[in-house]
Amino acid sequence: MRRSLILGGLAVLAFPTAALAAEGGTGGWIAPFAVIAAGIGMAIAAGLCGLGQGRAVASAVDAMARQPGAAARIQTAMIIGLALIESLAIYTLVIALILLFVKGINFA
Amino acid sequence: MEAIEHPPIFRLPGIPDHVTYTWLVMVILAALTFVASRNLQLVPRGLQNFLEVLLEQFQQMIDDVMGPEGRRYLPLIATLGLFILTGNLMGLVPGLAGVTSNLNTNAACALVVFVAYHWIGARKQGLVPYLKHFAGPVPLALKPLMFVIEIISHLARPLSLTLRLFGNMVGGHILLAVIFLLMGLDGLIGWALSGSVPGAIIGGIGGIVTIAFTVGFLYPLKILVAFLQAFIFVMLTMLYISGAIEEAEHSEQHSGHH
Repeated sequence: MRRSLILGGLAVLAFPTAALAAEGGTGGWIAPFAVIAAGIGMAIAAGLCGLGQGRAVASAVDAMARQPGAAARIQTAMIIGLALIESLAIYTLVIALILLFVKGINFA
Repeated sequence: MEAIEHPPIFRLPGIPDHVTYTWLVMVILAALTFVASRNLQLVPRGLQNFLEVLLEQFQQMIDDVMGPEGRRYLPLIATLGLFILTGNLMGLVPGLAGVTSNLNTNAACALVVFVAYHWIGARKQGLVPYLKHFAGPVPLALKPLMFVIEIISHLARPLSLTLRLFGNMVGGHILLAVIFLLMGLDGLIGWALSGSVPGAIIGGIGGIVTIAFTVGFLYPLKILVAFLQAFIFVMLTMLYISGAIEEAEHSEQHSGHH
Protein backbone atom coordinates (compact mmCIF):
# COMPACT_ATOMS: atom_id res chain seq x y z
CA MET A 1 0.00 0.00 0.00
CA ARG A 2 2.60 2.48 1.11
CA ARG A 3 5.01 1.48 -1.60
CA SER A 4 2.38 1.91 -4.30
CA LEU A 5 1.58 5.37 -2.92
CA ILE A 6 5.23 6.36 -3.06
CA LEU A 7 5.57 4.99 -6.57
CA GLY A 8 2.46 6.88 -7.65
CA GLY A 9 3.78 10.07 -6.17
CA LEU A 10 7.09 9.60 -7.91
CA ALA A 11 5.30 8.97 -11.20
CA VAL A 12 3.29 12.18 -10.80
CA LEU A 13 6.44 14.10 -9.96
CA ALA A 14 8.31 12.58 -12.88
CA PHE A 15 5.54 13.29 -15.38
CA PRO A 16 6.22 17.00 -16.02
CA THR A 17 9.83 16.15 -16.63
CA ALA A 18 8.89 13.59 -19.23
CA ALA A 19 6.35 15.88 -20.89
CA LEU A 20 8.79 18.76 -21.10
CA ALA A 21 11.60 16.55 -22.33
CA ALA A 22 9.35 15.44 -25.18
CA GLU A 23 8.65 19.07 -26.07
CA GLY A 24 12.29 19.74 -26.57
CA GLY A 25 13.37 21.36 -23.35
CA THR A 26 11.51 24.68 -23.35
CA GLY A 27 11.47 26.06 -19.87
CA GLY A 28 13.22 23.18 -18.21
CA TRP A 29 11.91 21.20 -15.27
CA ILE A 30 12.31 23.88 -12.59
CA ALA A 31 9.02 25.66 -13.23
CA PRO A 32 6.56 22.75 -12.73
CA PHE A 33 8.41 21.52 -9.68
CA ALA A 34 8.43 25.08 -8.33
CA VAL A 35 4.62 25.21 -8.53
CA ILE A 36 4.29 21.84 -6.79
CA ALA A 37 6.78 22.83 -4.10
CA ALA A 38 5.08 26.17 -3.50
CA GLY A 39 1.67 24.55 -3.04
CA ILE A 40 2.78 21.70 -0.79
CA GLY A 41 5.09 23.92 1.25
CA MET A 42 2.41 26.54 1.83
CA ALA A 43 -0.10 23.84 2.82
CA ILE A 44 2.23 22.32 5.42
CA ALA A 45 3.23 25.73 6.77
CA ALA A 46 -0.36 26.95 7.04
CA GLY A 47 -1.52 23.80 8.78
CA LEU A 48 1.24 23.73 11.37
CA CYS A 49 0.97 27.48 11.90
CA GLY A 50 -2.73 27.01 12.60
CA LEU A 51 -1.95 24.33 15.19
CA GLY A 52 0.61 26.53 16.91
CA GLN A 53 -1.56 29.62 16.93
CA GLY A 54 -4.50 27.58 18.18
CA ARG A 55 -2.50 26.41 21.19
CA ALA A 56 -1.34 29.96 21.92
CA VAL A 57 -4.83 31.44 21.67
CA ALA A 58 -6.32 28.63 23.77
CA SER A 59 -3.87 29.29 26.59
CA ALA A 60 -4.37 33.04 26.36
CA VAL A 61 -8.16 32.80 26.47
CA ASP A 62 -7.90 30.41 29.39
CA ALA A 63 -5.70 32.86 31.24
CA MET A 64 -8.00 35.77 30.44
CA ALA A 65 -11.00 33.86 31.73
CA ARG A 66 -9.23 33.05 34.98
CA GLN A 67 -7.98 36.58 35.49
CA PRO A 68 -10.08 39.17 33.65
CA GLY A 69 -8.19 42.02 35.31
CA ALA A 70 -5.02 41.17 33.40
CA ALA A 71 -6.84 40.70 30.09
CA ALA A 72 -5.24 43.70 28.37
CA ARG A 73 -1.68 42.63 29.13
CA ILE A 74 -2.37 39.01 28.20
CA GLN A 75 -3.92 40.15 24.95
CA THR A 76 -0.86 42.23 24.06
CA ALA A 77 1.45 39.32 24.81
CA MET A 78 -0.80 37.01 22.80
CA ILE A 79 -0.75 39.29 19.76
CA ILE A 80 3.05 39.53 19.86
CA GLY A 81 3.31 35.76 20.18
CA LEU A 82 0.88 35.22 17.33
CA ALA A 83 2.92 37.57 15.16
CA LEU A 84 6.10 35.65 15.92
CA ILE A 85 4.44 32.31 15.15
CA GLU A 86 2.81 33.67 12.03
CA SER A 87 6.09 35.01 10.71
CA LEU A 88 7.31 31.42 10.26
CA ALA A 89 4.43 30.75 7.90
CA ILE A 90 5.11 34.08 6.24
CA TYR A 91 8.67 32.96 5.48
CA THR A 92 7.21 30.00 3.61
CA LEU A 93 4.82 32.34 1.81
CA VAL A 94 7.74 34.49 0.69
CA ILE A 95 9.61 31.43 -0.55
CA ALA A 96 6.48 30.27 -2.38
CA LEU A 97 6.15 33.70 -3.98
CA ILE A 98 9.78 33.58 -5.04
CA LEU A 99 9.23 30.13 -6.55
CA LEU A 100 6.10 31.25 -8.36
CA PHE A 101 6.95 34.74 -9.55
CA VAL A 102 10.70 35.28 -9.75
CA LYS A 103 11.75 34.49 -13.28
CA GLY A 104 15.08 33.07 -14.20
CA ILE A 105 16.02 31.10 -11.12
CA ASN A 106 18.81 28.94 -12.39
CA PHE A 107 19.58 26.10 -10.01
CA ALA A 108 21.64 24.16 -12.53
CA MET B 1 3.87 39.87 -9.65
CA GLU B 2 2.96 42.19 -12.50
CA ALA B 3 0.74 39.50 -13.96
CA ILE B 4 -1.94 39.88 -11.30
CA GLU B 5 -1.42 43.37 -9.92
CA HIS B 6 -2.60 46.41 -11.76
CA PRO B 7 -0.05 49.22 -11.94
CA PRO B 8 -1.03 52.38 -10.06
CA ILE B 9 -2.78 55.17 -11.91
CA PHE B 10 -0.17 57.82 -11.20
CA ARG B 11 3.47 57.08 -12.01
CA LEU B 12 6.53 59.25 -12.29
CA PRO B 13 8.80 58.25 -15.17
CA GLY B 14 12.05 56.63 -14.09
CA ILE B 15 11.10 56.41 -10.41
CA PRO B 16 9.84 53.15 -8.88
CA ASP B 17 6.22 53.19 -7.76
CA HIS B 18 6.90 52.47 -4.11
CA VAL B 19 9.23 55.49 -3.91
CA THR B 20 6.62 57.76 -5.47
CA TYR B 21 3.99 56.61 -3.03
CA THR B 22 6.40 56.80 -0.09
CA TRP B 23 6.72 60.48 -0.96
CA LEU B 24 2.94 60.71 -1.05
CA VAL B 25 2.72 59.20 2.45
CA MET B 26 5.37 61.65 3.67
CA VAL B 27 3.46 64.58 2.16
CA ILE B 28 0.19 63.42 3.73
CA LEU B 29 1.67 62.99 7.20
CA ALA B 30 3.67 66.22 7.05
CA ALA B 31 0.66 68.20 5.83
CA LEU B 32 -1.59 66.71 8.52
CA THR B 33 0.81 67.52 11.33
CA PHE B 34 1.54 70.97 9.92
CA VAL B 35 -2.12 71.89 9.63
CA ALA B 36 -2.88 70.46 13.07
CA SER B 37 -0.02 72.22 14.85
CA ARG B 38 -0.21 75.57 13.03
CA ASN B 39 -2.66 77.04 15.48
CA LEU B 40 -2.17 75.20 18.76
CA GLN B 41 -4.81 75.64 21.41
CA LEU B 42 -4.98 74.66 25.03
CA VAL B 43 -8.33 72.98 24.54
CA PRO B 44 -7.79 71.04 21.32
CA ARG B 45 -10.49 70.68 18.72
CA GLY B 46 -10.79 68.90 15.40
CA LEU B 47 -7.59 67.71 13.77
CA GLN B 48 -5.36 68.70 16.67
CA ASN B 49 -7.58 66.70 19.02
CA PHE B 50 -7.44 63.68 16.72
CA LEU B 51 -3.65 63.72 16.45
CA GLU B 52 -3.26 64.24 20.19
CA VAL B 53 -5.44 61.21 20.88
CA LEU B 54 -3.37 59.21 18.40
CA LEU B 55 -0.08 60.21 20.00
CA GLU B 56 -1.45 59.57 23.48
CA GLN B 57 -2.18 56.01 22.37
CA PHE B 58 1.46 55.62 21.36
CA GLN B 59 2.55 57.19 24.63
CA GLN B 60 0.43 54.84 26.67
CA MET B 61 1.78 51.83 24.79
CA ILE B 62 5.33 53.05 25.43
CA ASP B 63 4.57 53.55 29.12
CA ASP B 64 3.17 50.03 29.36
CA VAL B 65 6.02 48.30 27.58
CA MET B 66 9.13 50.38 28.24
CA GLY B 67 8.32 52.27 31.43
CA PRO B 68 8.95 55.98 31.96
CA GLU B 69 12.35 55.80 30.24
CA GLY B 70 10.71 55.07 26.92
CA ARG B 71 9.20 58.54 26.43
CA ARG B 72 12.44 59.72 24.81
CA TYR B 73 11.92 57.34 21.90
CA LEU B 74 8.36 58.45 21.16
CA PRO B 75 9.35 60.37 17.96
CA LEU B 76 11.06 57.34 16.41
CA ILE B 77 8.33 54.90 17.37
CA ALA B 78 5.35 57.09 16.49
CA THR B 79 6.86 58.09 13.15
CA LEU B 80 7.45 54.46 12.21
CA GLY B 81 3.97 53.47 13.32
CA LEU B 82 2.18 56.27 11.47
CA PHE B 83 4.24 55.74 8.32
CA ILE B 84 3.61 52.01 8.23
CA LEU B 85 -0.07 52.39 9.06
CA THR B 86 -0.60 54.98 6.33
CA GLY B 87 1.34 52.87 3.85
CA ASN B 88 -0.66 49.76 4.70
CA LEU B 89 -3.97 51.56 4.35
CA MET B 90 -2.91 53.19 1.10
CA GLY B 91 -2.34 49.76 -0.41
CA LEU B 92 -6.07 49.11 0.00
CA VAL B 93 -7.14 52.07 -2.13
CA PRO B 94 -7.67 50.95 -5.72
CA GLY B 95 -5.37 52.83 -8.05
CA LEU B 96 -2.67 53.58 -5.50
CA ALA B 97 0.41 51.47 -4.91
CA GLY B 98 0.91 49.85 -1.54
CA VAL B 99 4.06 51.30 -0.02
CA THR B 100 4.63 48.44 2.40
CA SER B 101 3.97 45.71 -0.15
CA ASN B 102 7.44 46.36 -1.51
CA LEU B 103 10.36 44.62 0.15
CA ASN B 104 12.64 47.67 -0.05
CA THR B 105 10.41 49.98 2.01
CA ASN B 106 10.07 47.41 4.77
CA ALA B 107 13.78 46.66 4.76
CA ALA B 108 14.49 50.37 5.15
CA CYS B 109 12.18 50.61 8.17
CA ALA B 110 13.61 47.45 9.73
CA LEU B 111 17.22 48.62 9.23
CA VAL B 112 16.37 51.93 10.91
CA VAL B 113 15.06 49.94 13.89
CA PHE B 114 18.11 47.66 13.89
CA VAL B 115 20.66 50.48 13.87
CA ALA B 116 18.62 52.55 16.32
CA TYR B 117 18.30 49.97 19.06
CA HIS B 118 21.96 48.96 18.91
CA TRP B 119 22.94 52.62 18.96
CA ILE B 120 20.66 53.30 21.93
CA GLY B 121 21.97 50.27 23.81
CA ALA B 122 25.61 51.12 23.16
CA ARG B 123 25.04 54.76 24.18
CA LYS B 124 23.24 53.74 27.34
CA GLN B 125 25.64 51.09 28.60
CA GLY B 126 28.89 51.79 26.81
CA LEU B 127 30.11 49.75 23.88
CA VAL B 128 32.10 47.10 25.74
CA PRO B 129 29.48 46.20 28.39
CA TYR B 130 26.85 46.13 25.65
CA LEU B 131 28.91 43.72 23.57
CA LYS B 132 29.77 41.70 26.67
CA HIS B 133 26.10 41.22 27.31
CA PHE B 134 25.72 39.24 24.09
CA ALA B 135 27.64 36.38 25.71
CA GLY B 136 24.88 35.98 28.29
CA PRO B 137 24.90 34.50 31.78
CA VAL B 138 26.56 31.17 31.00
CA PRO B 139 29.84 29.48 32.06
CA LEU B 140 32.99 30.86 30.49
CA ALA B 141 33.52 27.87 28.19
CA LEU B 142 30.15 28.42 26.56
CA LYS B 143 30.49 32.17 26.08
CA PRO B 144 31.96 32.16 22.53
CA LEU B 145 29.19 29.85 21.37
CA MET B 146 26.51 32.01 22.99
CA PHE B 147 28.04 35.11 21.44
CA VAL B 148 27.79 33.73 17.92
CA ILE B 149 24.25 32.46 18.45
CA GLU B 150 23.16 35.80 19.89
CA ILE B 151 24.70 37.70 16.96
CA ILE B 152 22.80 35.51 14.51
CA SER B 153 19.55 35.98 16.40
CA HIS B 154 20.04 39.75 16.38
CA LEU B 155 20.73 39.67 12.64
CA ALA B 156 17.52 37.72 12.14
CA ARG B 157 15.44 40.47 13.76
CA PRO B 158 15.44 42.97 10.87
CA LEU B 159 14.93 40.07 8.46
CA SER B 160 11.84 38.88 10.30
CA LEU B 161 10.48 42.42 10.70
CA THR B 162 10.85 42.98 6.96
CA LEU B 163 9.41 39.69 5.83
CA ARG B 164 6.49 39.71 8.27
CA LEU B 165 5.20 43.05 7.03
CA PHE B 166 5.93 42.25 3.40
CA GLY B 167 4.36 38.80 3.50
CA ASN B 168 1.21 39.96 5.23
CA MET B 169 0.65 42.84 2.85
CA VAL B 170 1.50 41.00 -0.37
CA GLY B 171 -0.39 37.92 0.78
CA GLY B 172 -3.50 40.04 1.26
CA HIS B 173 -3.17 41.63 -2.16
CA ILE B 174 -2.66 38.27 -3.85
CA LEU B 175 -5.66 36.86 -1.98
CA LEU B 176 -7.80 39.73 -3.28
CA ALA B 177 -6.51 39.28 -6.84
CA VAL B 178 -7.06 35.51 -6.76
CA ILE B 179 -10.60 35.87 -5.40
CA PHE B 180 -11.45 38.29 -8.21
CA LEU B 181 -9.82 35.92 -10.71
CA LEU B 182 -11.73 32.88 -9.45
CA MET B 183 -15.01 34.77 -9.49
CA GLY B 184 -14.35 35.85 -13.07
CA LEU B 185 -14.73 39.57 -12.47
CA ASP B 186 -13.18 40.66 -15.75
CA GLY B 187 -15.39 38.23 -17.66
CA LEU B 188 -18.50 39.57 -15.92
CA ILE B 189 -17.50 43.16 -16.63
CA GLY B 190 -16.77 42.31 -20.25
CA TRP B 191 -20.21 40.71 -20.45
CA ALA B 192 -21.84 43.77 -18.92
CA LEU B 193 -20.13 46.04 -21.43
CA SER B 194 -20.77 43.78 -24.43
CA GLY B 195 -23.94 45.68 -25.46
CA SER B 196 -26.46 42.84 -25.45
CA VAL B 197 -29.29 43.26 -22.96
CA PRO B 198 -29.16 39.82 -21.22
CA GLY B 199 -25.39 40.04 -21.04
CA ALA B 200 -25.61 43.45 -19.46
CA ILE B 201 -28.17 42.24 -16.89
CA ILE B 202 -26.35 39.05 -15.89
CA GLY B 203 -22.87 40.53 -16.07
CA GLY B 204 -23.87 43.69 -14.25
CA ILE B 205 -25.60 41.86 -11.41
CA GLY B 206 -22.81 39.29 -11.17
CA GLY B 207 -20.13 41.96 -11.12
CA ILE B 208 -21.92 43.95 -8.43
CA VAL B 209 -22.39 40.83 -6.28
CA THR B 210 -18.72 39.91 -6.70
CA ILE B 211 -17.50 43.35 -5.76
CA ALA B 212 -19.94 43.58 -2.85
CA PHE B 213 -18.80 40.24 -1.46
CA THR B 214 -15.15 41.13 -1.76
CA VAL B 215 -15.48 44.62 -0.36
CA GLY B 216 -17.80 43.50 2.42
CA PHE B 217 -15.87 40.44 3.45
CA LEU B 218 -12.20 40.81 2.52
CA TYR B 219 -11.69 44.54 3.00
CA PRO B 220 -12.53 44.58 6.72
CA LEU B 221 -10.11 41.71 7.14
CA LYS B 222 -7.38 43.60 5.30
CA ILE B 223 -8.00 46.79 7.26
CA LEU B 224 -7.67 44.77 10.45
CA VAL B 225 -4.41 43.26 9.17
CA ALA B 226 -3.11 46.72 8.25
CA PHE B 227 -3.65 48.01 11.79
CA LEU B 228 -2.39 44.80 13.36
CA GLN B 229 0.84 44.73 11.39
CA ALA B 230 1.61 48.37 12.15
CA PHE B 231 0.91 47.63 15.82
CA ILE B 232 3.16 44.58 15.80
CA PHE B 233 6.01 46.41 14.07
CA VAL B 234 5.83 49.20 16.65
CA MET B 235 5.48 46.78 19.54
CA LEU B 236 8.52 44.76 18.50
CA THR B 237 10.51 47.96 18.03
CA MET B 238 9.65 48.94 21.60
CA LEU B 239 10.59 45.50 22.89
CA TYR B 240 13.95 45.61 21.11
CA ILE B 241 14.77 49.08 22.41
CA SER B 242 13.73 48.24 25.95
CA GLY B 243 15.76 45.04 25.73
CA ALA B 244 18.81 47.03 24.72
CA ILE B 245 18.30 49.50 27.57
CA GLU B 246 17.54 47.04 30.34
CA GLU B 247 20.09 44.41 29.53
CA ALA B 248 22.51 45.54 32.22
CA GLU B 249 20.02 45.04 35.03
CA HIS B 250 19.01 41.64 33.74
CA SER B 251 22.57 40.35 33.57
CA GLU B 252 23.22 41.54 37.14
CA GLN B 253 20.11 39.70 38.29
CA HIS B 254 21.26 36.54 36.59
CA SER B 255 24.76 36.70 38.04
CA GLY B 256 23.19 37.20 41.46
CA HIS B 257 21.24 33.98 41.07
CA HIS B 258 24.19 31.88 39.99
